[in-house]
Amino acid sequence: MANSDPIPRDQAPPSDSEETNGADEISEEGEEEEDTEYEEFEEEEEELDPVRERERLKSIFRRLSTDPVHVRVHDVVIKGNTKTKDAIIEAEISDLFKKPRTVQELVAAASIANARLKQLDVFDSVSITLDAGPAELPGTTNVVIEVVEASNPLTGNVGVFSKPEARSWSLEGSLKLKNLFGHADIWDTSGAFGWDQSLEIGTGVWVPRFKSVPTPLSARAFLLSQDWLKFSSYKERLMGLNFGLLSTNNHDLSYNLTWRTLTDPTRMSSPSIRRQLGHNVLSALKYCYKIDRRDSHLRPKSGYAFSSTSQVSGLWDLRGLKFFRQEFDLRAAMPLGFWNAALNVGLSAGAIFPLGRNFTKLSTSVPDRFFLGGHSSLVCSLGGPSSLLGFQTRGLGPNDMRRVLNLNKDEGSSVQSDCHDFVGGDLAVTAFADVSFDLPLKIFRDAGIHGHAFVCAGNLAKLSEGEIRNFSTERFLKTFRSSAGVGVILPTKFFRVEVNYCHVLKQFENDHGKNGIQFSFSSPL
Amino acid sequence: MGDSRSSGDRHLFLVARKPRFGLPTACPSCLPVYLYLKLANADFSVEFDSSFPDSDHIPYVEYGESVALNNEKGGVIELLKEEAILDLNAKHTSLAIPDLVSTKAMVSSWLYEAILYELWIAIGGDVARNIYFSDLPWPIGKILHWKKIYDVKKLLGVTKVNCEERELEIYKKANEAYEALSLKLGDQVFFFDNRPTDVDALFLGHALFVLHALPETSELRSNLLKHDNLVKYAEHLKAELQLDSTPSSTQPSSSSKDASTSSAPRRKPSSGWGAKPNPKPKKEKTEEEKKFRRRAKYFLATQLVAVLVFLSLMGVPGDSEMDDEDAVDYDEE
Repeated sequence: MANSDPIPRDQAPPSDSEETNGADEISEEGEEEEDTEYEEFEEEEEELDPVRERERLKSIFRRLSTDPVHVRVHDVVIKGNTKTKDAIIEAEISDLFKKPRTVQELVAAASIANARLKQLDVFDSVSITLDAGPAELPGTTNVVIEVVEASNPLTGNVGVFSKPEARSWSLEGSLKLKNLFGHADIWDTSGAFGWDQSLEIGTGVWVPRFKSVPTPLSARAFLLSQDWLKFSSYKERLMGLNFGLLSTNNHDLSYNLTWRTLTDPTRMSSPSIRRQLGHNVLSALKYCYKIDRRDSHLRPKSGYAFSSTSQVSGLWDLRGLKFFRQEFDLRAAMPLGFWNAALNVGLSAGAIFPLGRNFTKLSTSVPDRFFLGGHSSLVCSLGGPSSLLGFQTRGLGPNDMRRVLNLNKDEGSSVQSDCHDFVGGDLAVTAFADVSFDLPLKIFRDAGIHGHAFVCAGNLAKLSEGEIRNFSTERFLKTFRSSAGVGVILPTKFFRVEVNYCHVLKQFENDHGKNGIQFSFSSPL
Repeated sequence: MGDSRSSGDRHLFLVARKPRFGLPTACPSCLPVYLYLKLANADFSVEFDSSFPDSDHIPYVEYGESVALNNEKGGVIELLKEEAILDLNAKHTSLAIPDLVSTKAMVSSWLYEAILYELWIAIGGDVARNIYFSDLPWPIGKILHWKKIYDVKKLLGVTKVNCEERELEIYKKANEAYEALSLKLGDQVFFFDNRPTDVDALFLGHALFVLHALPETSELRSNLLKHDNLVKYAEHLKAELQLDSTPSSTQPSSSSKDASTSSAPRRKPSSGWGAKPNPKPKKEKTEEEKKFRRRAKYFLATQLVAVLVFLSLMGVPGDSEMDDEDAVDYDEE
């Protein structure tokens, strides 16, 4: 520690006569001086210690962050879980703490473990501490995971949204019961009521893992009724089960068993729809691959995204619907370098084919076909061809004439209700280009309100019932519908609002395209 | 995209339930409509629907851009008469009309109720299942079957308390109707003026269903068999209208499962429920089998010839291996 001599060496020694007393006095004084100086020295040392301690710690942290400090995990201790099974937590993090050999790797693994446990959504907080290992085992550490289970296992939320497949807006609410059996299981019940009197009720369960299956599993029972009378003269009621078999960041595999009933209470449907009325069973396996490297899914400015969805139906019994359905969706975003602007482009395509002998002559089920139109966001939605701004929901494509009522046979008068039913297409292609930019006022920029200009195009074609022979790529490209417009996007806390002015550039007979202002509400997440 | 059946085209399209038990359509609601079109010598095609057994709009007839649904304005036959598409009663004198109307009312109510009771409540589920639900997956068919039984009981006012009483009442009315019709028919070919009317279509449909679809244990069938002239009337018209041959149906345009039902029936009628042997369908099956076998022979022969040609042109597979070995030796040298 300190090496300085406490007694100054330039001081003369005291005389003898005076020395005794003086010496005593001097010695006493000297001793007092020595004590004082020693105390001063100790105070100086104490003042220097915190500084040195800080320096010492800084050097340790620098060493830990830059130099490989070898360490080994001796044990993982879990605390705070009264309901959640240890096995569930261990399964989430077990593979993370086997491999790290240095402190840096261990800290990285701990942050991943923290994220994984928080993702289970059954803990209020998760903290991971690296404690010293047993004294007899130097170079080891104990990982202490302390969780605080959700104090209130019941949560709920309510929102107003518009979906691409729905006709209008819907009020949605859900209740979640977390960790009922200690397996990080989440039970939820949800309901959605649409403005057009559509109704969806569902209940399900999600578990992060089940026995030897390492990926999340889910099961859901649902009842859904939708009203397509205005567009296609039928009402749809679905009742069924959905099982999520595999769910990772990029892959999703699910099985759907649905009893679907189509009815026409108005009795005005076209012959094509009339022949589709009745009961059907949909027993389908659906695989979805999705990769999204965009920097944001609400306002992407760079990156790309791709999704592919394949669906095979007709797996159970030979009496259900049998078809193969494929969708692709490709998006790209690139910054333009001014006004925080970005160009988004996208291309989507989808096709459905019936399965069976002479499949070219068979028909596909109307609800499984592709429909274009509606107000959903071009940029945010990723999942196949569906949206075409400027056109009404299900507002273009193959159609069939509705029933004619002969009111007075003598006068020959007749009434035809709203003319046509849109029956969907077996092949669909859409494309769009969208430029988003900041608005001039700072208040808008601070609130995230921005503008966009877009152009989009799409088309549908029928391939089933022998129509594939009449299909011509040239005619398909020539009959593309298109629209362009500008709009403002307002992201709020509860939903994302798009207000667009659309101008239809090209439409055909019986299409329901309309110039004007359109609103769209979607989830803010 | 428009409908191929444009306005002004008087070809009719009848959508009914599928054929079974040797009948062109096994549904007791669809059969009278089919027979009405046959008796009127209408130009029509039949399509079969097997996905909507609990609908009340089937059968229906499409003509041009219009359609006559069974759940509107008294039914398909009444609508066809009202629209002046087909009216079997048009040529009958006004004197016969009151008698015709009252007979029709008796057939449409008493005998219709008797059929409903017999099919859905009295004889058990097999006949109804074969007619309506055999093309649907079992759970859905079962649920719809139970729902239909419940609806029929509600319609007929049958409860656990009054079940026997109601049964006696229904059979009594049916017997009275059979006796009255038997007296009315006598030795005539048709009920009124020796010309077909909608009453003939309605009763013929009823009689053919009772005789061919219901099992021998059916009380309604036993009661009908007591009236020889009614049975002869039904069998005579069945032969006359050539109902034994399966109806020609258009190419199926709806869901894929209709492909199996709208063509000539390939399934055998269910055993044990009074299905009579039918020589003509067997002959057609035999011809189809012969055609299939002939084509299969041609296919196999073509394949064999192709293999032989390949072998003769390319040589034996072993020769090529020896060539390869020689090549290796040559390379090594």
